[in-house]
Amino acid sequence: MEIKLRRNAQIFIIDIEGDMDLYQAYKLKELVAKMIQKNIVYYVINLEKVDYIDSSGVGALLYVHSALKKQKMKLLIANVHGSVKDVINLTQLMDYFNITKDVNTAIQELKPLIT
Amino acid sequence: MSAPQILIDENNTLFDKTGMFYKKFPSDFRQIRYYTLLIVEKAPAEMKQIYLLEQQISELIKNAVKHGNKSDPKKFVECWFRFEDDMAHLIIQDEGEGFKHLEKWNEFNLERTRCLQERDFDALEQYVSFMSPDSDQNDNGNALFAAVQFWNAGVVFNSKRNCVAVMKKYHHNKPWRHLEED
Repeated sequence: MEIKLRRNAQIFIIDIEGDMDLYQAYKLKELVAKMIQKNIVYYVINLEKVDYIDSSGVGALLYVHSALKKQKMKLLIANVHGSVKDVINLTQLMDYFNITKDVNTAIQELKPLIT
Repeated sequence: MSAPQILIDENNTLFDKTGMFYKKFPSDFRQIRYYTLLIVEKAPAEMKQIYLLEQQISELIKNAVKHGNKSDPKKFVECWFRFEDDMAHLIIQDEGEGFKHLEKWNEFNLERTRCLQERDFDALEQYVSFMSPDSDQNDNGNALFAAVQFWNAGVVFNSKRNCVAVMKKYHHNKPWRHLEED
């Protein structure tokens, strides 16, 4: 699993590529924990290039969702598709996460919130 | 309101090992996905959404290796498995102390299901992660929530709670159909 970070104004886009599994999902938690310390407020997690996720991957998304919510920071998860969508569906958390169609849509949704 | 429950029933028919394949693995955390592939390769080639089956089997083996055997390489995980066109059946046994918090998990899942059905996402905050002293800090305990949804013909533990039997049944006329059609 590789994580790349890019930026659109104050919105940080976390592009994940590869398997979000029991061996690697922790990397997302570590990255976001560091970003929270730097007071970054607006996040998009892009799952376009993730084709496999397991409970550790879902756990990492839950951790990030919860940690950012506590800090009143904003997170949208984009491009939830295929097998990733099926696995999150099994946990019944599709409506719990803030999921949006793609990165551009996420940016358009977050921009009006930026103060 | 009802929620799928994990059962304890030593005599459940899901523990019948007749005609099942058998494999035994050491508790090597690094090899969990490889062990899973060795099992899934016995599934019918025409099976669709095999990734979901693979993912769910991987979770069962992870539970046995990590929670049951505490990744002790001297302890083994035993797997019995059988796949047919319309079902997948597995029994996974470890050498651990057993799932002590099973009743608490069932109660927790009942509340979680209630929040989901009522779409009460504020209340759901308390029930997204089942954390006990033995819980997996990485998956927030959410593997079992998915397991009781996926293994739709039962998730049953033996009396010692170190052996779980699961079964997934698929529609007879449309085997391995898409999950959303369930």
